[in-house]
Amino acid sequence: MQKENIEEYFEKLRYAILNGDSELARKIADTLREQGVEPLKVVNEAIKPAMDEMGKRYERLEIFLPELVIAGEAAQEVLNILLPKEGGESFIKGKVVIGTIYGDIHDIGKNIVAAMLRANGYRVIDLGTDVPPRNFVETAKKEGAMIIGISCLLTPSMYYMRDVISRLIDEGIRNKFYVIVGGAAVYPDWAREIGADGWAKDAERAVQLCDILLEKGHQLAKPILIGEWR
Amino acid sequence: MDLLFNILDKTLTGPPIEKHDFEFKLVPKTTKEVLKEYGLEKTFDPNNPINTDLSIAKEFYRAGYDLALRLGMFCPDTSRRVMFSDEEIKQALSDAPKEVSLGYGRDRVTIRSRRPEDRNLPVAEGSALGMAVSEEYFIPLCMAIAQYKVIDIILAPTLDTINGREIRARTPYETIMGMYEAKYVKEALRRVGRSGMPLHGVEGAPTEYAYMSGFLPGGYDPERTIGIALIPEPVILSYQIMHRVVTNHLICSPLEAGHMLNIGGYFGSPEGAVIGAVAAQILQTVSMFPTIVESTILDARYFSNTTREALWATSTSMQARTIGNQVMNLGITSQVSGPCTEMLLYETTTITIADSVSGVAIEIGTRPAACRYKNYGSGLENKFFAEVLKSSAKNLKLTDANEIVKAIIPKYEDKLKNPPKGKSFTECTDLRTLQPTHEWLEIYEKVWRELEDLGLPRWE
Repeated sequence: MQKENIEEYFEKLRYAILNGDSELARKIADTLREQGVEPLKVVNEAIKPAMDEMGKRYERLEIFLPELVIAGEAAQEVLNILLPKEGGESFIKGKVVIGTIYGDIHDIGKNIVAAMLRANGYRVIDLGTDVPPRNFVETAKKEGAMIIGISCLLTPSMYYMRDVISRLIDEGIRNKFYVIVGGAAVYPDWAREIGADGWAKDAERAVQLCDILLEKGHQLAKPILIGEWR
Repeated sequence: MDLLFNILDKTLTGPPIEKHDFEFKLVPKTTKEVLKEYGLEKTFDPNNPINTDLSIAKEFYRAGYDLALRLGMFCPDTSRRVMFSDEEIKQALSDAPKEVSLGYGRDRVTIRSRRPEDRNLPVAEGSALGMAVSEEYFIPLCMAIAQYKVIDIILAPTLDTINGREIRARTPYETIMGMYEAKYVKEALRRVGRSGMPLHGVEGAPTEYAYMSGFLPGGYDPERTIGIALIPEPVILSYQIMHRVVTNHLICSPLEAGHMLNIGGYFGSPEGAVIGAVAAQILQTVSMFPTIVESTILDARYFSNTTREALWATSTSMQARTIGNQVMNLGITSQVSGPCTEMLLYETTTITIADSVSGVAIEIGTRPAACRYKNYGSGLENKFFAEVLKSSAKNLKLTDANEIVKAIIPKYEDKLKNPPKGKSFTECTDLRTLQPTHEWLEIYEKVWRELEDLGLPRWE
């Protein structure tokens, strides 16, 4: 395929993702795969710029949660087509298991964080709301996740966050996963108290937190707190 | 009871839809369509955070009513939409109570439906809604709030422990907590000589366990307590919430049906949030038979309602709802800064004025630091909130309110992302007298002087 043509397809793909047009995104991905275009090139030159732009637009309130989610889904469709069945994981930043803890059915904060993580190159396994501690651990093990993200808005549900970490310790796998916590009820001292690896004040900072953990988490003292009140 | 059965039956028979499709596709698509059809896109004006054009508020009501008809609600337990006809909605709005009296003796209070620029005073509810408070400070904090006569009704904060035990959701600890919360808050009222004050609860109940136990004999008195059926997102009708509705129905207790709605969330823009809140008020009235309906429009970026976007959406939506029907509306102030800071009082001023002049019937006081920090609440910011609420209702027109809010917002908006944490209850309160510290009182006096200079008379 000619370089100009590839650029044209990348431009169309960015447009499809920005508009959450999964059907168009799939068609372009099929063409790019048939033409043998390197998946990494597609990720770096079309998907990542589009999702970065979506993240910035959300921060400026130019787009909203549904658009962010739908764009993330379109990007995911492209990755499903382009990435090889084996070794495809190397094209994503990391895998995050996320959910709202047991007893709590609030989910918009968790949904925003999940969407922002997807927009920034993470694969997110969203367990939904009212998730028992054991499900976080089992899913993280099964999916080979690097990070477990737990959200909570209600104080009486917050205690179950500790149970996730206790279970990891009991199974001897605490050092295999970074556990991050957030949500309206969750404060930095709580992250410290339960032995979490990080806390972030909002969705934008949650992405920064995951980036830091994956890049140099093993070198830093825990918990890493991003956006703490003065 | 037949009406309630009718609603429950609808959750079993409505059109099926998946949660993802309802929230991420149907809600945003329908909201955008309605905004376009009514010509309400891009009407948000950041330079005028309090809407002063009642004709546009009326149009937002018409659009929100239409949205309620088209969207219905979503039952996550059965994955079905719960739809209502125009006739059902009109009947429910007509049947909704227009006033209610609660409490005993000199503490008895009447909540009335209000309209924009209504000189009847709204009811001031003291609180630290959603804030975890240590067992040892729970009664003192409730006393510190209820000691001020300008506060008409109290909503407890969230108990952190009982007898040192963590209160875990869906366990018997939670069931015990419901009753303890009621007993503690009533004890606090007794100690400040306001035993007849109306109540609002069960505040700390994450599920129906604590909710039901809180209304058992010896707990919250059904005749003077407003129950809480707060849905996590607008237009979601879950069985967990319907348990509360049924409970209050069975014990003949007043009920608050409420929702939080995020700008940046499923309804999108500030304009989308306005019609979303109107639709949710209408749909919660027809589905939950409440005494009052709470709608809180938050800015998803900060979890507060003190940004320009949230203030405009809150004032416009409150005006739309109070012009469009006579349902009693409850508002909540939600701040990002903590106690003993000027910023907390500035934030409190803007959202309280917005609701008060736009027709709120009852307003809940402060949520310092978005209630993220344990014990970061005090009595004084609640007193300040109640004074601003009542003075605004008595003295301000919408145009005056807009000018004051415009002058106050620049004092804090650049700190919304990194707000001051402030001081905890014990750091800004003398625990022997429950009076604010000198430092906190000085801040309160300074901000009140500024408000007086801007044209808001001090409430005496």
